[in-house]
Parts: sequence; C-alpha cells; structure tokens
Amino acid sequence: MVVALGAHRWIDDEATANAKRQKRADGRMRLPPGQRVLSKFRPMGGTPGDPRPNHLRLRIYGEVDEPTTMTMRDLLALEQHDAQVDVHCVTGWSVLGAEVRGVSIETIRRAVGVSERANYVIFEGAAGYTANVPLDDLRGPNNLLAYRLDGAPLSVENGAPLRAMVPDLYFWKSAKWVTGLRFVARDRPGYWETRGYHNHADPWEEERHALF
Amino acid sequence: MPSSRPPEQGARSVFLRWRRWLRAAHRDVGYMLVGLTFVYALSGLAVNHIADWDPNFDAYERTVQLSAGYPAMDDSALAAAALSAAGVDGPPTDTFGLDDELQVTTSSAELTVSRASGEVLVRGRSPRLLLRVSNWLHLNRGKRAWTFIADAYAILLLGLAVSGMFMLPGRRGLRGRGAVLVALGVSIPVLYVTLSGGP
Repeated sequence: MVVALGAHRWIDDEATANAKRQKRADGRMRLPPGQRVLSKFRPMGGTPGDPRPNHLRLRIYGEVDEPTTMTMRDLLALEQHDAQVDVHCVTGWSVLGAEVRGVSIETIRRAVGVSERANYVIFEGAAGYTANVPLDDLRGPNNLLAYRLDGAPLSVENGAPLRAMVPDLYFWKSAKWVTGLRFVARDRPGYWETRGYHNHADPWEEERHALF
Repeated sequence: MPSSRPPEQGARSVFLRWRRWLRAAHRDVGYMLVGLTFVYALSGLAVNHIADWDPNFDAYERTVQLSAGYPAMDDSALAAAALSAAGVDGPPTDTFGLDDELQVTTSSAELTVSRASGEVLVRGRSPRLLLRVSNWLHLNRGKRAWTFIADAYAILLLGLAVSGMFMLPGRRGLRGRGAVLVALGVSIPVLYVTLSGGP
C-alpha cells in the first residue's frame, strides 16, 4: 500500500515536472504557480443536484433578449464543441488535457441574445450555489457548459448532468449541477467569493483568496 | 464587629472560590462540547484533505458486458438488461437515449450503455455515513438554526481556552511557563502569515 501510494505520488510528480516545462500558446506557463498535476478530477464536494438528464431545466435569464429555459435536448440541438482543457483547483491540483464536450457560452449567448448591458454571468448551481464570471473571461469556445468528460457522461460528483467549464479561472468558478445562467450588468460575488475567496480567481496570478 | 481574618487571606479566599467556579464551568462546558468537538475536528481533518479524497462519498466505477441480444432491445429492455448485468437494484428514475448510448439513472447509480458494444459503465457512490453528516454540519450546509449552534460552540470554545489558562496555573502560572506556551501558540499563526506573505 505504501509502495503504491509512493508510486502514485512519483508519477504525479513527474507529470508536474513535465508540465512546468511547457508553455501555452498565449505564452503563459502551462501549469500555474503552486499547482501539481493529477490524472483525474477530484470531486471536491458540494451539494449534488438532480443528475437526471431528462430533468434538466436550464434557466437563462437576466440581461437577455429572450429569457428561456432549456432542456438537455435543447442544448444538444445547439452547436456542440469538443475541447481539451486544463483545469486548476484552488486547493492546488491541476488536471491537464481533460476531454470535455458541451455547448460553448458564446453559442448560448448567440442563441438567447445577450444584451450589451450584460458584463457578467452568474452560474447558478444546485442548492443555491453561485459563481460569478466576467463575460470577458468567457470568450473562446473552451468556456463551456459541459456534459461529457473523458468520453463518458459527467458523473454525479463531477456535476451531472451539466456543469460550467471555465478552464482559465480556478475551478470553483466552473459550477457543478448548473441550473441557471443569469446575465447581469453589475457584479454579484458568488458562494465562495462571499466567503473569502478571490472574486476573479486567475490561477496564474494566484488569485486564491480575497485581499483584506 | 471587625473581621478576625487579615485582608490578604480574604482576597485569597475569594480567589479560590472563583477558581472553583471556573473549574466547574470549564469541566461542564468541556463535557458538553465533546460531541461537537469530535464533529468539527474529524470533519476538519477530512475536509482539509479534500484534494486527496472524497470525504463525503465512497465512489466506485466499473464496466460490465451485456450478453448477446442487446442490439435488438428497445430502450426500456436495454435499461433493464443493463441494471440486471450490473447488479444494481431499483427501477430507473430516468433513461436518456442518444444515438450511440443510453444513460440510465437510479437512486444509487448511473449506467451508460453503449448501443454498439453492449458495454455498460456503472458508476455509483455510497455516503460515508458519519463523515458526510459531520462535513455537512461543519460546512454549515444546513444553514438555519445550525448557524446559532456553531456560533455558540465557537464562543464556548473561546471560553474554554481562556478559562483553561487559569485552571491549573502551575507554580507561576501566566507569569512563567504558561506565558511562554501561550506566546508560542499565538506565534504559530502570526509567523505563518508573516513568513508565507499572507493572503
């Protein structure tokens, strides 16, 4: 057992060392400071929502032309996007190259007609969880509402049936068990942001906790 | 009629009586807080290492293979066959069909059936009974009245810490080794924040 744990740590450490030598296309290091590489997502808790795909009712409202509620079938009818993403948890682990499939936030924005007044989106999850993200941080197709991870539907602990995927911010911004997208003009700090965590959460700036 | 006891003896008597009350209060509050301390301490250990394990659930994942005949099954029969092959009890609470797979949800597990290969991915989890409840309380997921209980616990813990300093003071109490130990305890978070650069 001890040997197995030791080997696991060694493999992780080698992956971390490799990642520290790599750079992203935007010139930043692939692995943000203070992170180590793991091979799989850690669940990290939270109050699970209803995992049943047929029961998904995604409410999209706020500063939009047409407030709407989408089912999983509605989402599947939109343009689908496959991506390989690196995610970074504020507790210090990162997973590199996770394969996800979903609908990009940009596609959602086009589908519902987001107003020019909107500057932020509030991801709403099960049991009242919220996470606020500036719309400027959601440009690019890799910012998704994801329903598949590594070739299989999301597991319950990873947010089934639908979770946000905002790879370039700490992972708490990628709300699990998403039930709503609220587009707002003014920022509204979310669950962790009102509990001492950083409002923006850039891993490369180590924006882990709020300054006070 | 003037007291026959010298003044310093009277003061000492008051001090001893006060300490007796302090000990009684410390003891009784300590007894009362044992349960909550276990809840918070065990949950604290568990949640502190949440990046290394799931402190709430024991998750499993495995695959099973359907026997021949599955390509001709409709979704309902395919779900039943998958549940049977996986040994998962209970009727499906949801079945969601896609072109190439069928997702079957029950109250305890989720199954993903490949229509092409007949392979079934079975995932489920069982709650870690005591830890899940402890974590739920510790993280105040329940809200409402638990906020008051947690606040009261914190205040009583402060009382225990302060009263503890005067319980069995030793030869010189806070003027001797006690002061060194209190300073050591206070210096741990102060030094950590200072040396780590703080928040």
